[in-house]
Amino acid sequence: MRAGRPALARLDHHTLERYETIWLGLSVIMVVLLFVAVLASFVSGTYPSLTGESGHHVAGVRNGRVDPRLLGATPFATPGTRQNADGTYEAFVVARAFQFEPAVLKVPAGQPVTIHVTSADVMHGLMIVGTNINTTVIPGQVSSFTTTFRREGTLDVICNEYCGSGHHGMISRLTVEVGPP
Amino acid sequence: MTTAPLPLPDSARAASLPDAAFLARLKTLTQYYVVTAFLALLVGVLIGPLQALNYGGVNVYDTPILRALLKSYYQGLSLHGVLNALVFTQFFISGWLLYLPTRDLKVTINLRFAWLSYLMMTAGLLIAAVPLLLNQATLLYTFYPPMQGSPVFYIGAAIMVAASLLVAGQVIAAWVGWKRAHPGRVTPLVAFMSVATWMMWTVASLGLVGEVVFVLIPWSLGWVGGVDPLLSKTLFWWTGHAIVYFWVLPAYISWYAFLPHHAGGRIVSEPLVRLTFVLFLLNSTPVGLHHQYADPNISTTWKFIHMFLTFLIAVPSLLTAFSVAASLEDAARARGGRGLVGWIGHLPWGQPVFSASVLAMVSFIVGGAGGIVNASAAFAPVVHNTAWIPGHFHITVGTATTLTFMGTAFWLIPHLTGKRLPSVRLASASVWTWFIGMMVFALGMHWQGLLGVPRRALVSATTQDVYREMPIRVPALLTAISGMILLVSALLFFYVLFRMLLSRRVDDSEATTPIPYSEAISSAGETLAGASALVRLTEPLLALWGVALLLVLLMYGPVVARLLAEAQLVPGWRLY
Ligand code: HEM
Ligand SMILES: [Cu+2]
Ligand SMILES: [Cu+2]
Repeated sequence: MRAGRPALARLDHHTLERYETIWLGLSVIMVVLLFVAVLASFVSGTYPSLTGESGHHVAGVRNGRVDPRLLGATPFATPGTRQNADGTYEAFVVARAFQFEPAVLKVPAGQPVTIHVTSADVMHGLMIVGTNINTTVIPGQVSSFTTTFRREGTLDVICNEYCGSGHHGMISRLTVEVGPP
Repeated sequence: MTTAPLPLPDSARAASLPDAAFLARLKTLTQYYVVTAFLALLVGVLIGPLQALNYGGVNVYDTPILRALLKSYYQGLSLHGVLNALVFTQFFISGWLLYLPTRDLKVTINLRFAWLSYLMMTAGLLIAAVPLLLNQATLLYTFYPPMQGSPVFYIGAAIMVAASLLVAGQVIAAWVGWKRAHPGRVTPLVAFMSVATWMMWTVASLGLVGEVVFVLIPWSLGWVGGVDPLLSKTLFWWTGHAIVYFWVLPAYISWYAFLPHHAGGRIVSEPLVRLTFVLFLLNSTPVGLHHQYADPNISTTWKFIHMFLTFLIAVPSLLTAFSVAASLEDAARARGGRGLVGWIGHLPWGQPVFSASVLAMVSFIVGGAGGIVNASAAFAPVVHNTAWIPGHFHITVGTATTLTFMGTAFWLIPHLTGKRLPSVRLASASVWTWFIGMMVFALGMHWQGLLGVPRRALVSATTQDVYREMPIRVPALLTAISGMILLVSALLFFYVLFRMLLSRRVDDSEATTPIPYSEAISSAGETLAGASALVRLTEPLLALWGVALLLVLLMYGPVVARLLAEAQLVPGWRLY
C-alpha cells in the first residue's frame, strides 16, 4: 500500500477485510454521534419544535386541525398579534394565494410569542429569512410554535412552498418592536 | 411466464450465451427503454438552463418564443421535474434492471410480457404528458394536493408506476424460478443487486400507489369532496424518499460490478456488496418523514425515529465509498500507480465510460454530506425548501445517477446495437462538462439557499426588493454560468448519443462489447454450502423482503393511522 512496494503487489483479501471492518465501525459511530448531536440540540431547545396541539384555547381548532372554510369562527378571522389575559402573546397568520395576512406582522421584542399559522386554500410555506423558523402551512392544519425575537427590526417572510402562479410574489414582512404591539 | 434456466454452468459467465434470437429480441426491448429514457431527459434537460437563468436573476419566460411554448415558469418546472426525475429514471432503470438480471441468471423471460410492460409504461407517459403540456397539471413533481391537476395526469402517472411494478414482478419471478432450478447455489452478484433493488421498489411504491389510486384519482374525478393534504403528503414521501434509492441503486450496480472492469481492477468483496444492498432493501423505505420536519401534526417522536433511520442509511453508502475506492486503487496499482495518492493519476480519466461513473461518485460524496445536513432535524429548518435543496439533488440524482447512466450508455448502446461510440473525445468532454457544470450549480444553489432564497420560485420576476437586498450576486452568477455550461454539456452528450444511435451497425457486439463484468478479490463463491456467513445470511432475499415490508409498516402504520383517524378533508384548487 505504501510507495516503494512493487507496483504489481495487489490488494489482498485479508488486508481488505480488516480495513473494511474498521470503516464499518467508524460509520456506525458517526451515525450515533450525529443522532446524539441532534437530540442534544432538540433537548436544549435550539430546534423549534412544531406542535399541532394548539387547540386548547383557540376556538374552532381541535387537535391542531381546522376547517379552512370556517376560519371566520376562529381567531384567524382577525389575523395579527394579541396579548392574552395572562400576559402571553399570540399571533395568528393566514396564508392565502398569494399573500400573508396580516401584510405586516408586528411582534414584541424580547417576549415569547406563539405564532399560529394556517392556510385558507392550498399549501404554502412560511419562512422567516435569517431565522430557523420555517414551516409548512397546510389547509386544514394549524402550525404552532413559540419563539422569542430578540432584536428590533424588520424581517422578510417568504412563502417557500409552491402555491400557484403568483408564488414568487408571496412575500411579506415581520417587524419586531419594543413595547406592546 | 417462462423462466427456463439454461443448463450451463454459471462459472462460464461471459462465454456462454443464451439462444441468439432471444438475446437479439431482449436487446431490442432494452434499447427501447433506454432510448425512451434519453428522449425524456433531452426535453427535461433543455428546460434546466432557463431555470438556472432565473436563479441567476434573468427572467427569460417573458420572451415571445417561450411564451408560445410554456404558459409559465411553473409549467416548465413541472415538465423538468417529471421528465427528469420520474420518466428518465423509471424508463432507464426498467430497461437496465430487466436486462442485467436476465443475462446474469442466463434465463429466458417471457418477452411478450416484457413488451407489454414497456408499452404500458409508455402509454402512461403519453397520457400524463397531455395535461402537462396543456398546463393542466402544473403541480411540480411532488403534485401536493389540494392543488388539483387533471385526473388524466394522475391516471397516467399511476399507469407508469404500475408498469414498473410489472417489470419488478417479472424479474423477481425469474429469480425465484432460477433459485428453484438451482438449489444451494449463490445468486450471481448482478442479479442479486437487481432483485434487491426491485424488491425495495415494490415496498417503497406502496405509498404513492395508495395516494394516487385511493386519494388523488377519485378526488380529481370529483367522486369525493376533499382530500387531507397532510395524509397525501405523508403517503407521497413514503415513496418519495425511497425513490431516490431506486434512482441510485442502479448506479451503484454500475459502480460495483462494471466500474472496476473499466478501470482494470477487481470488485473488492462480493459479500460486502450483498450486505450493502440488503441494508438498502431494509432501510431505505422507513425514513420518509425526514421530508416532513416542517409539517405540523406529525409527532416529533416519529420524526426523530425516522431521522435516526435516515442517518443509518449513510452506513451502506459509506461502505460503497470504501469498497469502490478500494477497487479503483487496486486497478490503479495494477496499472503501475504508486504512492498514497499518486495512484489516482493512473486511472483512465480520458475514458468517458470510466470517468462518468467516477465523477458521478465524487459528486455523490458531496451530495451525501449535504444530505446528512438535510436529514438533521436541527439543520433542516435553515435549508428546508430553499434553493439549497435543488442544489443538493442535482449532485445526487442529477449527477450521481444521471451521469452514471450517461456513461453507461457509452458502452450499453454499442453492446445492445453493435454500433460504435462516434467520438471518445466528445463523449469525454460531455462527461467532464456535466460534472463541472453541476459542481458550480450546486455551489451557487446551496449558497443562495443558505442566504434565504426559496426553491421553486420565479425569483427573477419578483417585484419586491427582498432578493435584491440579499448578498446573492456571486452565487446567482455561479448558478447562471452553470446553466450555460450544462447546456453545452447536454448538447454534446445528445449529439454523441444520437450520432451513435443513427449510425450503422458495425459488428457483433456480443464479441466486441460484452457486458463488462469485473472479477472479485473475495468472491461469494458458487454454492451456499461453501460460502461465507455473510453470503448465507443475505441470500434469502424473499424473507428479507418480508422484513422490509414489516419494517415500513411498523414505521408508517401508527403515523398514517393517526392521520386517517383525524383526517381533515379540504376542497381542491387550481391556481396556475
Ligand atoms: C442542464 C442540466 C440541468 C439544469 C441547468 C437544471 C436546473 C434546475 C434548476 C435551476 C432547478 C430549480 C428550479 C426551482 O426550484 O425553481 C431545477 C429543479 C429540478 N431539477 Fe434540474 N437541472 C438540470 C438537470 C436535471 C436532471 C438531470 C435532473 C434529474 C435527473 C433534474 C431534476 C430536477 C428536479 C426533480 C427539480 C425539482 C422540480 C421541483 O421542484 O418540482 N434536473 N433544475
Ligand atoms: Cu404561498
Ligand atoms: Cu408559495
